[in-house]
Amino acid sequence: MADPNAKQTGQKSVKIVAGAVVCVESDIRGDVTIGARTVVHPKARIIAEAGPIVIGDGNLIEEQALIINSYPENMLPDAEDVEPKTMSIGINNVFEVGCVSQALKIGDNNVIESKAEVGRNVILTSGCIVGACCAVNTCEVIPENTVIYGSECLRRVQTERPQPQTLQLDFLMKILPNYHHLKKTVKASSTPARS
Amino acid sequence: MATLLQPEKVLYLVRGEKKIRVPLSQLYFCRYCSELRSLECVSHEVDSHFCPSCLENMPSAEAKLKKNRCANCFDCPCCMHTLSTRATNIPAPLPDDPTKTTMKKAYYLACGFCRWTSRDVGMADKSVASGGWQEPENPHTQRINKLIEYYQQLAQREKLERDRKKLARRRPFMPQAFSEKYGLGTRLQRQRSGAPISALYGLSLKEGEDQKEITIEPAQALDEVEPLPEDYYTRPVNLPEVTTLRQRLLQPDFQPAGASQLHPRHKHLLMKRSLRCRKCEHNLSKPEFNPTSIKFKIQLVAVSYIPEVRIMSIPNLNYAVYLTFYILENITHVSLYTCEEEDPDDINSTAKVLVPSKELVLAGKDAAAEYDELAEPQGFQDDPDVVAFRKSNKIGFFIKVIPQREEGDVTVAFKLRHDFRNLAAPIRPTEEGEATSEAIWLTHHVELSLGPLAT
Repeated sequence: MADPNAKQTGQKSVKIVAGAVVCVESDIRGDVTIGARTVVHPKARIIAEAGPIVIGDGNLIEEQALIINSYPENMLPDAEDVEPKTMSIGINNVFEVGCVSQALKIGDNNVIESKAEVGRNVILTSGCIVGACCAVNTCEVIPENTVIYGSECLRRVQTERPQPQTLQLDFLMKILPNYHHLKKTVKASSTPARS
Repeated sequence: MATLLQPEKVLYLVRGEKKIRVPLSQLYFCRYCSELRSLECVSHEVDSHFCPSCLENMPSAEAKLKKNRCANCFDCPCCMHTLSTRATNIPAPLPDDPTKTTMKKAYYLACGFCRWTSRDVGMADKSVASGGWQEPENPHTQRINKLIEYYQQLAQREKLERDRKKLARRRPFMPQAFSEKYGLGTRLQRQRSGAPISALYGLSLKEGEDQKEITIEPAQALDEVEPLPEDYYTRPVNLPEVTTLRQRLLQPDFQPAGASQLHPRHKHLLMKRSLRCRKCEHNLSKPEFNPTSIKFKIQLVAVSYIPEVRIMSIPNLNYAVYLTFYILENITHVSLYTCEEEDPDDINSTAKVLVPSKELVLAGKDAAAEYDELAEPQGFQDDPDVVAFRKSNKIGFFIKVIPQREEGDVTVAFKLRHDFRNLAAPIRPTEEGEATSEAIWLTHHVELSLGPLAT
């Protein structure tokens, strides 16, 4: 729902930088900024309830992915003034099908695999991979190049970060406009600063 | 689906060397002996070896040579998943012109589950897609091979001496060469359940060849042990670098303590096995040779011959049970008996059960009737007190259970008696031209565990 308190930040709607491909069927609500070369598939949901979301360049957000900046569970929306925290997402991240991301700070080159869940208090640095169906609800900073995998969320460190999906992004940016209508982009003079 | 049927609640007793109680789905039926057989009273034989990921068949001799591992496929040392080969393009200088660079394909191994790659342990990318990957060499291989050869020779020598002693007792005129052929054959060894068959016995004795005396140096015990590094107790542990016990023990040659030394190993082969009844030596289960086929050449599973009892629903004290029968034949008669007072098989039951005393008649399984919507009503007269429903080859009936104890699990046991037409036996040609197979009555002891009593 469009947050009526968003007028504090001055931006009420979605701002899509030129070069991003965002399908009309995706559900984007609130104060969201999407960077260049980012592809948002249909049925993806980006919901900025409790604060703005800033998404960087080169991200890939697949179907049924949910990126939500919501209120912490034990607080009512209309309670004492809660400072809206900005959720910032870096560049070259991949949000695979059906994942749920509530992390407030995501760096670069991360991959959140299908049906994974990332909680609000997790901070993903860069090169992290959260494996399929893994739920990470701890309150910590995940070190770089960490892979979380398996039903017990085992961890290991890999030596190199996952490659950016440039080929896939190029392909999608060519093909998606053939089959879907796209949301209008806004010519931005400068990219918004990441908090 | 197996959890829906809950097969563990209904156990059949197998009267083999040991008395085993197992669900019917795990049993085999020897139709020559007309008895149930479980996995423990049959002998297992290896049919063929195959790799589970590339499904390549391998003859047993080759498998033994390669230590039962596939030549093409690798296992991830981190999560034991199958590794896949990935290709990247790297710029490489042309052989003719060192100044220009062209894109060449380089291959590396990667795991799709835990994202381990062969670059993590420092293995260089190979230029061929398959066959370029080598397993690291075990430094102790030579010593181990020498020890094995020495002990092989020792075992052969002991076997000769034993045969010589045995022949000296029985028939002193038999030449020694006969002992090799008529001695302890593998068949007799197999009949003793649980007898370990020494791998060394299978080696052929090359008679007439001069056997070199193989000597080995005994292992030397060292007095001085390498001291631990000084910071062993104070150095902080780098947890992602430490290997888990499972990862370590999967590579018993090296048992690396650090994750950067975990090399991939070739994948283990699986085998197809055939089962043979120990008493009559007939095959009970023989799979197809082709690894891609899951069918069986011979499949004498108990579910196809014995009526299966399943628990349908557990209302308060009356229990509804149903009986299914999967044979493609005609009518079968089933009758149930309660166990007698001093039945030696009846050790587990904690409740008395009243089973229907009349004989139940079951129709055979008609595969076509499943698809036929207008099923003709079968002309069976059923007593509604006894029979709850009847559907093609299934019949549901009621049993009454009277718990004997005040608390705990309720287990009941009864005997199931049915007729079995043995079609495998050769049919004696009768003059009337009628092929009648004789019906044998078989009795099985069935135990149902119905769960804890409501408090």
